Amino acid sequence: MNPAPFLDIRKASKDFGAGPVLDGVDLAVTRGEFISLLGPSGCGKTTLLRIIAGLASADGGSVTLDGQDISRLPPHRRDVGVVFQNYALFPHLTVAENIAFGLRAKGAPAAEISATVERFLALIHMTAFADRSVKALSGGQQQRVAVARALATKPKLLLLDEPFSALDRKLRETMQIDLRRLLRELGTTSIFVTHDQDEALIMSDRIAVMNRGRIEQLDTPEAIYARPATPFALEFVGLSTRIAGTVTEYDPAGTIMVETPLGRLRSRGRFEVGSPVLLGIRPERIRFGPAGGENVVAPVLADIVFQGARIQAHFASPDDRPVMIETSGALPAGLAAGSPVTISFAVEDTIAYPLAAA
Amino acid sequence: MIRLLPRDRMIWLAAPALVYLAFFYAMPLVYLLGRSVIGPNGPTLSLFANFFADDYNWRVIGNTLRIALLVTLVSLVIGYPVALALARARGLAQVMLLTAIILPLSVGVVVKAFAWQIVLRRDGAIAQLLVATGIWDEPQRLLFTEPGLVIGAANVFLPFMILPIYSVVKLIDPRLSEAGATLGASPFYRFRKIILPLTMPGLISGMAFVFSLSVSMFVIPSLLMGDRFQTLATLTGRSFLLMRNEALGSATAVVLLVLAVSIVVGSTILSRRIGRAA
Repeated sequence: MNPAPFLDIRKASKDFGAGPVLDGVDLAVTRGEFISLLGPSGCGKTTLLRIIAGLASADGGSVTLDGQDISRLPPHRRDVGVVFQNYALFPHLTVAENIAFGLRAKGAPAAEISATVERFLALIHMTAFADRSVKALSGGQQQRVAVARALATKPKLLLLDEPFSALDRKLRETMQIDLRRLLRELGTTSIFVTHDQDEALIMSDRIAVMNRGRIEQLDTPEAIYARPATPFALEFVGLSTRIAGTVTEYDPAGTIMVETPLGRLRSRGRFEVGSPVLLGIRPERIRFGPAGGENVVAPVLADIVFQGARIQAHFASPDDRPVMIETSGALPAGLAAGSPVTISFAVEDTIAYPLAAA
Repeated sequence: MIRLLPRDRMIWLAAPALVYLAFFYAMPLVYLLGRSVIGPNGPTLSLFANFFADDYNWRVIGNTLRIALLVTLVSLVIGYPVALALARARGLAQVMLLTAIILPLSVGVVVKAFAWQIVLRRDGAIAQLLVATGIWDEPQRLLFTEPGLVIGAANVFLPFMILPIYSVVKLIDPRLSEAGATLGASPFYRFRKIILPLTMPGLISGMAFVFSLSVSMFVIPSLLMGDRFQTLATLTGRSFLLMRNEALGSATAVVLLVLAVSIVVGSTILSRRIGRAA
């Protein structure tokens, strides 16, 4: 028997009047876990976050935290901390006063408040800024204060709503690692909303890929990257080469033959002969030349994109779906745009998804 | 070299208003001030000495300040929640609320004052309501009483309380209150520690507006209280219009002006200080 999950969301649904924003979402989170809700804007991830915090009401479903049904509790009785996208620091208070706010609201003794504030100021390396106005801080500093403020009350659960989106790229990466380390040290169970797949891959224990009000896949970053469960997960997380085709052969061992505009390709799965499928391959699993594996095609090279450590080769595609290789090594000599190049990939790396008939 | 002209040229945009005020506001005031300190035998403060020696005039000052303070408080208590609601309202609701607040300004004070005479009468709507709810045992007349005056004046000046507060509230990020809630703060605590301090500048300017309008109101007390009850403004009016005593009128006008200026300047300094601290 599994122990009951620390946070258990059942059938959460929400409709603002223009179709469901959340379509019966289930999510179970273990104590101490860091989960990302990853998806494009409008997928319902922020709505789910606000429902967990009690800032929005669900039309249906339940939220259970640490064995207590909190679905009907107002936000200030839920013990759920939130780091807002714009941080929402109190502009009339100093850094220390912002961090102390939650403890003061809960009527903690003065000695405990000042000890906690000092500890968190040290944790976010901002002891020297204690008496500064929060308006005078940089974006990165504001974000750290917002995190410290949310954690100072020792919430059972911390929710983070795109807390890095306002920061520049360089700063973002170090802050992601710092935040992850801090939360791990404190053992805080966290749910992190983001549309940035890199962020989700770097930080998460597990990722929930969300699309159109549903969780399409909930798994570790490695598993989601290696075996995306749906075409959406394939497309949204990481880069992919995608080729549409029709199943022409199926054998009971689970191997299928797919007729595509680029040629006949093999994959695995249970599909009826004649059904349309989408084949997905991670670009770094594709090799130049016929040596890489069992699926060999020769599309026309369109473009070479240099990205520093990695190089991408883009090929002309029969439909608008991308066909590309990504390699960290050198490109073979003599590549010229406009001429066909032989590339190959393993059957194991070729993932087939059912495709709605066009 | 000392620069005599301000560095920021935008300041010149205030020039037309300054010229206008100099001609139509400052000059008459200087004339008035002159009348109050220059007697037949040269400069003198005897007018003010006489004015402050008279107990009746102290009662008038007391009336003026008491009524203005009460009107300000009533407007604040009624207006503050409206300003919060107005800032939160969206779409049609907001348009209708704003119209309801601003449109009454287009109805002249005289018309309104006559309307209140109907409402505040012994058999008026308020008296009937208070009797019906059992607060009063028998109907009483509110007209020509101080509570009647306060209710009426607060009604006229309410928009001047609501609008400055509204303009501040609508700039407050609604996430601040949400953040307070997720930190465990009850709605009341959030109001006290987040909303109230952040709306303080609007609150102070609303109070300054209503207070300075109330100390100087003339038509409303004349119509709702009559001649028995004098404020600095009505006394000034009577001195000039009825008693033809320009010296007394100048003195009361100057006392009134000093009161109003100290309130406006004081509140401006206060709100700037709060604004800086915030």
